[in-house]
Amino acid sequence: MKKNIFFVIAALVAVTSCTLDKTDYEAEISTVVVEHFEFNEVVSINKNNYQIRIEALNGTLYKGYNDIHLTITNTQTNENISTSNVTFLPIITNYNGNNASCPHQYNLNYNTENNYYSGYAVFTSESNELENWEVHISFTDNGETYTVNQDIIVEEQANMNLNMTAFTANDGEQYFIALVAPQKPKIAENELVAGIYKYNQPSNEAGTFPDPSQFSYTEVSNYTLLLDPRMPEPSMGNHSSPNNQNLTQQEDGLYYGTVNYTMTGNWTLNFRLQNPDGDIIKGTEVSTDFTPGIEGERSELHIDILF
Amino acid sequence: MKKSITLVILLFVSLYTTAQNTEKEKKKDSIVALDEVQLITIIKKKIETDMKMAVTVDEFLASSDNISFIKRGAYAWEPLLNNMSSERSTITIDGMHVFGACTDKMDPITSYVESNNLSKIDIKSGQEGSMHGATVAGSIDLKRKSTPFNLSKKWNGAYQTGFEFNNKQFFNLANASYSGSKFVADGSLAYRKAENYSDGNTEEVKHSQFTKFNASLGLAYKTSELSSVKVEAIYDEAKDVGYPALPMDLWLSRALITSATYKQLFKEGLFRALDTKIYFNAIEHYMDDTTRPENLVHMDMPGWSTTYGLLSKANLKSNNFSSEIQLNAYNNLSTAEMRMYPQDRSERSMFAYSWPAVTTTFAGISLNNSWEISDKSQLNFGGALGVNYNHSKYVEFNWIFHPGTPQEKTRILPSFHAGYQLDIKNFNFSVGGGYGHRAPSVSEGYGYYIYNSFDRYDYIGNPDLKNEISYEGNASAGYKGDKFSLQANVNYFYIENYIIGRILSLGSPMNYQSVGVKGYTSLEYSTLFNFSLNTSYTILDNLHWKGVLTYARGKDDNKNNLPFIRPLSYQSSIHYRYNRFNFQTSVNGDLEQINYSPEYGEDQTPSYTIWNLSADYTFKIKDYRTVVQIGAENILNEYYSTYADWGNIPRMGSNIFTSLKFNF
Repeated sequence: MKKNIFFVIAALVAVTSCTLDKTDYEAEISTVVVEHFEFNEVVSINKNNYQIRIEALNGTLYKGYNDIHLTITNTQTNENISTSNVTFLPIITNYNGNNASCPHQYNLNYNTENNYYSGYAVFTSESNELENWEVHISFTDNGETYTVNQDIIVEEQANMNLNMTAFTANDGEQYFIALVAPQKPKIAENELVAGIYKYNQPSNEAGTFPDPSQFSYTEVSNYTLLLDPRMPEPSMGNHSSPNNQNLTQQEDGLYYGTVNYTMTGNWTLNFRLQNPDGDIIKGTEVSTDFTPGIEGERSELHIDILF
Repeated sequence: MKKSITLVILLFVSLYTTAQNTEKEKKKDSIVALDEVQLITIIKKKIETDMKMAVTVDEFLASSDNISFIKRGAYAWEPLLNNMSSERSTITIDGMHVFGACTDKMDPITSYVESNNLSKIDIKSGQEGSMHGATVAGSIDLKRKSTPFNLSKKWNGAYQTGFEFNNKQFFNLANASYSGSKFVADGSLAYRKAENYSDGNTEEVKHSQFTKFNASLGLAYKTSELSSVKVEAIYDEAKDVGYPALPMDLWLSRALITSATYKQLFKEGLFRALDTKIYFNAIEHYMDDTTRPENLVHMDMPGWSTTYGLLSKANLKSNNFSSEIQLNAYNNLSTAEMRMYPQDRSERSMFAYSWPAVTTTFAGISLNNSWEISDKSQLNFGGALGVNYNHSKYVEFNWIFHPGTPQEKTRILPSFHAGYQLDIKNFNFSVGGGYGHRAPSVSEGYGYYIYNSFDRYDYIGNPDLKNEISYEGNASAGYKGDKFSLQANVNYFYIENYIIGRILSLGSPMNYQSVGVKGYTSLEYSTLFNFSLNTSYTILDNLHWKGVLTYARGKDDNKNNLPFIRPLSYQSSIHYRYNRFNFQTSVNGDLEQINYSPEYGEDQTPSYTIWNLSADYTFKIKDYRTVVQIGAENILNEYYSTYADWGNIPRMGSNIFTSLKFNF
């Protein structure tokens, strides 16, 4: 006997939505970190028949490391200048007229692919009422040299992953370490990129202001930045992570290493700076003991990050 | 924070079927034969023990020889089969895979059912248990009650209530069923609420309370004489459950376990039955440490586990040869998070996944054959072949300890087993062997800083672990006379690539209580030996004695002891019936744990002996059979903890239990 039966069973299938929502991981690691991808105009200067545009990530210059893009356009021909020697010098002037600079690339490179001059500046402080930043730019076109000065605003870097530190090492020199990447770390292996710079003490008397020889900085070569990342939070008991790699210099002059962040939160990158001779010139080794309830001790050379 | 529970409901399963003839429950020859397909099973007839008629699922399982428990409190014990932890066994509900959502194993699957929605529990040892998926230790299949069509009595029901004095546990269990010729419905409701229990020194064990609600419903419709469809659901909710051995308790865990089954029987031919089930279950588990002010860190640890699956089983029979073929497929997603709050709560909380959204997809085919060589002897053999696929969504978590490990991993899991049974007069003998692979569990493969409060290490999974490979041999011999019976079982496992946590030299603990980091690693091998001896003697018609002795030994490749191996244990009980009265008394205990494993965090556990007593009386109220029971466990109020009590938490001291059951 063949019979077609059609029936419906009302089945009890309780459709539950979760009582508590799962964490949105992308949102979680973006809570305190904003990542910038786009270069926008910081300032545009008109000088004679030229327009000079300075671009930086998010259109803002921050304390710490900044990649700088610069274009010079002849407003008459509407053509970009690409063959000039362009120099870039940031100067900070404080309330009593003292001048200083910061690590920067003085001679900008021309990027033929994207048609701009590129460089960087590691601003060591934010602009405020008492201290003012200014950039001095020079370029040549048709055999003529032009110079421009422009006030700029250096803002606070809210992203602690791009923090910097300045210090005098045991060799008496003045050093700067600025974090370049990652902007937005993950709970993962992160490639840690930093710039390490040194102030070159001038050997001659100052010439006419601004005399670049008085404001000379270089990327240090063949140093090693020993890394020991830890969570300072007392309840984390000096927690650290495995498989971290010290930072060594790569072809682009920056220092590359690996930092593993095992969870979000506050981390301290404890550093020790080793010169090419193998001497530690700054930084102390931190305890590896697990000490629950006690805030982790930091190296005398360190940068705090948060994500 | 608490989002209101959006429970309920409604899925309409419409089915369109072509039908055939004959009645399912009509016990024709062919169908009787089908019942016999269930081989070599140790089947517990009813969900009650000799001592106690209102038991929890855990207490019931504990009455089996080859099950022991890791106990973290009074609730949700982790069953160990053949002295192996729950990753090594497949625990299923009617063949459905369900995976706990707690990284700390606070929710073994057995905690999501109730004794009044189960009919029996099938425990199979070793590779004989590979029917539902790859295993090493064996399988535990919790069988939900199912009501046959067309019973003479249309309505059946039972209600049971009781009180246990030690932890003021009050429970109510009710179940009812309707049975018609075309339609069957059954359901159960259970509610238990217990406060903290007291140990043998009459001291309260803090954080040992629990509250559990469980409901189940099954609806079956006969689509033809030989076919039926059935939909089933179990809902379980545990709230405010204390785990005295852990630094955290449970705020809420919920499970929804659903399935739809289509069953087709065949009167003739090779194929005798076809049983196909699709299922879905979702588990959520939220820990709570807010009642533990001693904790330095406040932490949220929610976990979720969702599984979809398919199960299809065919029974074949031809003369004295019968086969069971089963297809298993499931997909599970396990996610667990931890969020630690800094002491200054205004600061950023610290977040990580302890299970970085790990998918496990398994598909396998299992075969079990039984060949009745003669009236006296039988050969059983079978095997399984499975494919296990893992995917870690946030694989960068795994890269921290295992840089560059692939995000996906596929494993082939073969298994094989054979056994020969011989019955000569009153004696029976059996010998068998097996070989099988298992894939690492989610925690073993992908766990991330899972704190183990037993050895106080944070555990890190290793996605590159090799399959665990088990070589197994078993034998039994028994005698069954009119008055006296004796049965001895032994099995031996040689497990290659035995997965266990070993101290890692890298990394530092994340949880403040922990002392270091352990990574799951494969030992070259380990060995396990289990022995049990069961005897019974009928002294008088109404006076019975029963005795059980078990022994186990587990060693790793350095001849060191494995953890959680039960020392020599014994149980002896006497049952006496007088008219409508039953009296039971039993003594059970473990000897001193000599072969403990300090390496894996164990300390020596002293011996203990527990004495229990109970009496029940059956009578009728109107036409309803009623049983009342009163009893006492641990009468001498012994202070003890067993070898597998997490953190040596003391067990319950003396406890008087009462229970009343009506059958309608």
